[in-house]
Amino acid sequence: MNRIDRHPVLKTTQDRTKVFFSFNGENLQGFENEPVSSALIANGVKEFSVHQVGDAPQGIFCANGQCSHCTLIIDGKPLKSCITPLKEGMNIRTMIHLPELPPDDRDLDKFGPLNLKCDVLVVGGGPSGLTSAIELARLGYEIILVDDKDKLGGKLLLQTHKFFGSIEDCYAGKRGIEIAALLEKEIRSFENIKVYTNTSVAALYKDKKAGLFIDYKNYAVVDFEGLVISAGAREKNLVFPGNDIPGVYGAGAFQTIVNRDLVKSSDRIFIVGSGNVGLIAAYHALQAGITVVGIADILDNVTGYKVHADKIKRMGVPLYLRHTVLTAEGEGKVERVTIAEVDESFNPLLETAKTFEVDTLLIAVGLSSIDEFYNTAVQFGYKAVKTGDADEIAEASSAMFGGRIAGIQLAKILGRDVDIDESWYAKAEILKSRPGKTKNEPVIEITDKYTPIMHCYQEIPCNPCISVCPSGSIKLEEALGNIMDLPYYTGEECTKCGMCIAVCPGLAISVAKKLYGEWAEVVLPHEFLPSFHESEFVPLTDTEGNVLEKGEVVKIQFNKKYRTYLITFKVLLENAAKIAGIRIQDEDKIKPLPKPVFNYVPDNSILCRCERVSVGEIINFIRENDIKDANQLKQIRVGMGACGSRTCSILLPRIFSAAGVSWYEVAAATKRPLSIEIPMGAIINEESGETL
Amino acid sequence: MKNFDVIIIGAGSIGVPAAYYLARKGLKTCVLEKLPSEGRGQNRAAIGGIRATHSDPAKIKICQLTIEIMNRFRNEHGIDVDWIDGGYLFPVYDNVLEDKLKKLLGVQKKFNLNIDWINPGKVDELVPGINSHNLLGGTFSPEDGSASPLKVAGAYLKLARENNAEFFFNEEVTGFETDNGIIRTVITNKDKYSAGIIIDASGGYARDTGNLYGLEIPVDPDCHEAGITEPVQPFFRPMVVDLRTDDQSANYYFYQNKEGQVVFCITPRPRIFGKDTDNTSVFLPLVVKRMLNLYPRLRNLRIRRTWRGLYPMTPDGFPIVGFTKEIKNLFLAVGMCGQGFMLGPGLGMIMSEIIADNSDKYDFILDQLTLYREFAGTEVLK
Repeated sequence: MNRIDRHPVLKTTQDRTKVFFSFNGENLQGFENEPVSSALIANGVKEFSVHQVGDAPQGIFCANGQCSHCTLIIDGKPLKSCITPLKEGMNIRTMIHLPELPPDDRDLDKFGPLNLKCDVLVVGGGPSGLTSAIELARLGYEIILVDDKDKLGGKLLLQTHKFFGSIEDCYAGKRGIEIAALLEKEIRSFENIKVYTNTSVAALYKDKKAGLFIDYKNYAVVDFEGLVISAGAREKNLVFPGNDIPGVYGAGAFQTIVNRDLVKSSDRIFIVGSGNVGLIAAYHALQAGITVVGIADILDNVTGYKVHADKIKRMGVPLYLRHTVLTAEGEGKVERVTIAEVDESFNPLLETAKTFEVDTLLIAVGLSSIDEFYNTAVQFGYKAVKTGDADEIAEASSAMFGGRIAGIQLAKILGRDVDIDESWYAKAEILKSRPGKTKNEPVIEITDKYTPIMHCYQEIPCNPCISVCPSGSIKLEEALGNIMDLPYYTGEECTKCGMCIAVCPGLAISVAKKLYGEWAEVVLPHEFLPSFHESEFVPLTDTEGNVLEKGEVVKIQFNKKYRTYLITFKVLLENAAKIAGIRIQDEDKIKPLPKPVFNYVPDNSILCRCERVSVGEIINFIRENDIKDANQLKQIRVGMGACGSRTCSILLPRIFSAAGVSWYEVAAATKRPLSIEIPMGAIINEESGETL
Repeated sequence: MKNFDVIIIGAGSIGVPAAYYLARKGLKTCVLEKLPSEGRGQNRAAIGGIRATHSDPAKIKICQLTIEIMNRFRNEHGIDVDWIDGGYLFPVYDNVLEDKLKKLLGVQKKFNLNIDWINPGKVDELVPGINSHNLLGGTFSPEDGSASPLKVAGAYLKLARENNAEFFFNEEVTGFETDNGIIRTVITNKDKYSAGIIIDASGGYARDTGNLYGLEIPVDPDCHEAGITEPVQPFFRPMVVDLRTDDQSANYYFYQNKEGQVVFCITPRPRIFGKDTDNTSVFLPLVVKRMLNLYPRLRNLRIRRTWRGLYPMTPDGFPIVGFTKEIKNLFLAVGMCGQGFMLGPGLGMIMSEIIADNSDKYDFILDQLTLYREFAGTEVLK
């Protein structure tokens, strides 16, 4: 079974009920109420269904209820397996081409239209939605908060790492999962917030109502006065041959399977995209015991925080900059990924191709705001605000703060006489800052007093180290005058309490002291279950991952508050100031094949995944028919699938450009509800309705 | 100033096929369209039904032509527009409707339409699992069918361009220069055009276009909402039309298209006039309750998308087709009352013969659909 039994951060011994189910006649075991998709992945199943176009195998893709690639025949009905909870005795079958509609000809004898009412409908219970609901609830509004997952917290629930930002504004140093629990507790304490989990907004209607698909079973029409759109973001897709085979999916989907469902989706992964999402996904993979073979980025610098990237490099994950993915290949699932360097115009140089044997390719090339609800609200003239990633892609730390502002803004729009502290806007801006300048590593002299060393050289909005130091001897420089400034040690009174080491989200602080002769001791943070014991020798690296020496483990301690190990090493004095981390991946496990193996036909890349329309088909159609309106692509089924072009619309500009048409000349495709497919029986609440 | 033989206003269900048939006759044809591409007015909202089984000679003839065109479209043009000759089924559950439809059968048979009364068993064969309580039977016309409005419009655009018709998209007609009962110039937001013949095919916006050339065109759109499901294996073939009414709606209809998706639409009661095409919360529960009552098997079928479109209505429910008395080079092809898609190909062919060949064989159509009729009475099968 591909289950995660040991994890440095997540509790793996959960009280879950084992159930048996059948998949294509084979008896398998899973946990009750886990998503069917995760139960199958835990049982090693990668190929879920077979698409009617080209008999293409279909696997998990969004793990988020948005696409339909994980559809299976479950007890006779075609259902998205990622939002279907597993039950004892379920009969699950591969869906081959189109499903058959079950001949359920019982008379319609029940009808239960469901109408709800609230002052404010909050769409999305992630960091920004939760904080704006709290602000609005404090002002006395009746709130309905909906979220499409079974627990509140949004992406916080997948974030097992410690947060950046500041402790007083956004829980810096705490892990996303812990913050989600705190926010959920606060939300549940308000009687005027009604929470609907497992609930999607299917539509916003012109008559000032929204359609909710509650618990993926019932449909309700809700009246509202104001709207908070905090629906988050969706992962951008990438176009390359093989982008559609099972085993290619988003970093968010990966984190869902691994961190939420505790299923080891993969043994070896490659990641494309060096933003924070890609870097953190790599970290989470390593924590789950998955080998991360490499991270590629088409740019020549890392786009995420330097501390994240450095941390990953120290653990032994190579970063391939100025590289793109050429192909993902394999029989029915990913078996190989080939990357290549790119030239100045970002075209791949095939002669530089490198092939890696992996079973998963994670796409982490950025997020795009789920802002269609907000756009519709504006078009219909509703009182609405958008916040969090639905407004602007940024860290959850910024989303939590922005959500509070958005909540009060909506109250103002609804006519309430409330003020927003001016300083909040400035803070919100800082929290969503992109990284600033990077300075050179200073030379630090190690003495016989403990000295904290901050391997933190790039300006990012983060300062918990200064908050936790009991003697106040870590301060921020005063170059910018805000939390973007870099930390420094004032030079006195370090007692090696370890708090700064343990709290630092970047694992970028060590503490060093001269021992005797040519020896020194260094204390390093470690967020893995230690695979070594005292007096063992372990490879230690500098900030950017170069191994400096094997240091002797002197002591292994665990900081309970921040759930981080502090490992004391005996090292050479000359390395003591430079040592920043522990290498955990062997180099020989992550090497490419001696010779690249790939077949590169870019036109075969799939653009519209739902309907399996290739890039080549679309380019030809655009050229042959002088297409200037994305709606016309519906003739070849682009955007006609379950996702309604939510996955591929963002890729269209490039495709039009490749066909010789400037995107500025092209009319965008009309977006229509529903945003999630709903069975007809659910629309009228047949099961829970009253007898006709 | 650009000069053409024919200018068509509107690249919709009527304008695009007409452009092809006129261009094929060798006429230098252009189409002016305010929207970015073909069929973005109401063609995009049509669900795709095509039937000849109307109750009047004009629409019967036009749609018989459309069906002939559809039957040979793939062979003739090499383009699949998803035509299915699945027939139209009007299931009947009460005697009043039975009498009414049986009476109409007589009229329809006079026009040699292939339509007949079928018994409940045959209805269930066509739509397996249909509600059998009080089912009296129904009328079935096997030669009617359905096609994809999107693909038909796209195909005619391609064919028209191959025949040198020109399309000017994102170009809105803003005025006309008329002299001596003749339109000399059509003015748009970008350019000026002249032509011997101007065809008004501006659909739901015909009254507005009429205001620009100074005639009152009695076309006022009302709106209908429609939806489409996920695709599943084929399980029934005909277009099913339930003519019953309830307190919020009149008839509704649905069929399974070539992709396997069920497409459906309902007529609100009372009618909602206006040009708003945004979705409302009323539609889904209303149409689904009625559809599941008629056909419970649909209960597990998932609805994928919904939309709202306009029926460009005339006072009597029949289109307005023909030259005007006041402006001699103006030909009207407007007010299709929600049937523009099924009328478009046949009407395009007919217009090309009237305009290019001065044919008089369709005078009975022009007489019936003239702007100068009384507009009394109503369409029986609306």
